[in-house]
Amino acid sequence: MRPANDGAPDPTAEGDAPSLQDRLGRLEEIVRRLEADDLELESALSLFEEGVEHVRRAEQILRTAELRVEELLGPADGLLTRPLAEEPG
Amino acid sequence: MTAPRAWSVSRVNRAARRLLEDTIESLWVSGELGNWTRARSGHCYFTLKDDRAQLRCAMFRTEAATLPADPEQGMSVRVFGRLSIYEAKGEYQLIVRRLEAEGAEGLWRLAFERVRARLEAEGLLARERKRPLPPFPRAVGIVTSLGGAALHDILAVIRRRAPWTRVVVRGTRVQGEGAWTEIADAVAALGGSGTVDVLIVARGGGSLEDLWAFNEEEVARAIADCGVPVISAVGHEVDVTIADLAADHRAATPSLGAEAAVGDGARLGEVLADIRKRTSLALRRAALRHREALALRGDRLRRSASVLTRPHREVLDRSGDRMEAAVRRCFALQAARLAQAAGRMDVLSPLATLRRGYALPQDAAGRVLRTTAELPPGRRFSLRVSDGSVPCEALTRGEEGAGPS
Repeated sequence: MRPANDGAPDPTAEGDAPSLQDRLGRLEEIVRRLEADDLELESALSLFEEGVEHVRRAEQILRTAELRVEELLGPADGLLTRPLAEEPG
Repeated sequence: MTAPRAWSVSRVNRAARRLLEDTIESLWVSGELGNWTRARSGHCYFTLKDDRAQLRCAMFRTEAATLPADPEQGMSVRVFGRLSIYEAKGEYQLIVRRLEAEGAEGLWRLAFERVRARLEAEGLLARERKRPLPPFPRAVGIVTSLGGAALHDILAVIRRRAPWTRVVVRGTRVQGEGAWTEIADAVAALGGSGTVDVLIVARGGGSLEDLWAFNEEEVARAIADCGVPVISAVGHEVDVTIADLAADHRAATPSLGAEAAVGDGARLGEVLADIRKRTSLALRRAALRHREALALRGDRLRRSASVLTRPHREVLDRSGDRMEAAVRRCFALQAARLAQAAGRMDVLSPLATLRRGYALPQDAAGRVLRTTAELPPGRRFSLRVSDGSVPCEALTRGEEGAGPS
């Protein structure tokens, strides 16, 4: 029985949440569709809401201040990582 | 007479060898290389010659392994070694410890061109194979020396531009015998780990010889086979490495490699603000457009409604007129019937009876007096006749039985 949070500690992990790149791709699509002229008002509204949410989450990611650096351990340990202590300078 | 004492062949060769080895120090020899063979054992044999003489040379496995490439026939080379004799065959030869091609980069250049030609023939360096780098990777892999300046430079750039990025490092040696195998393994491990979206293979500057690991075919193949795009960031002023050619993106320094790997957060913030503005504007425009469309449709609806109801309205108007007429006729009929009924009522009225000569006895309260008992002698009453009443008094007791027939 493995504890649920086994492996590298990852306090900011979002699980399967879309990546920044996914969000930006979707945002591009949303803006393109919103700016088209043949959109139903209801679709426009839901696209807008989705877009605002993506922008909000993306800006949240942008505010992350702490760079996480890990070291990939050797094949003997499987493909686990551990936080890498950086040497100053 | 005794025959002079004969030396054994072995002893002669050993003595000659000692003489040679002890008399002539190690030396550099330059000449044109020929008859190069690399034996199964790993030892290499060749000849050096000029226009008048040849010198047999041997380079043993350990030294031969440091050669970046086998030299080509006819190449001008310099070798360093000591003169000796191969006793088993009595062959005089130069035992070579170092071999360099004449010219700036010599054998390295040669080795480089050979690896490049092989990879090129397989299409591994083709431009069409280059993959685009993800603009905003979630995680970046780095293959480099853990203590090196390259790692420090890369982390500094990522921290400044995209601190949300996850960085996964695989430490390797970056120079020396076998470093290339470590680098190739690290590229394969990180690229195949599924943890990173892009990979940086880096080392700080160095001479061509220092950077040799990045010219090894093994490294180039690992880069070409890597599951995610690879950035080569090998600091070097002079030329390109094979790793540069195989990578999807070539950066001149580790810092530039990091800049290529991650997007710029400040720029991204601007992009997001712009997207915010554009979505709001687009929504407002969509709403406006729909309001106009709605107003237009409302007008059209009203117009089409009036067109649609016109015939009905006419029917209705006509019906109204007809209804009024009907009502009027109905009233007239009723009035006539009323008059008729009134006529009949007149016939039935007691007044008419009085007019026919009957009279009606009533007491003071107007009650009709119908029997003899109600009219005892002396009873005063009034007799109603057709045009008025007459005061009366009963004279005697009336007789019962004679009802009006």
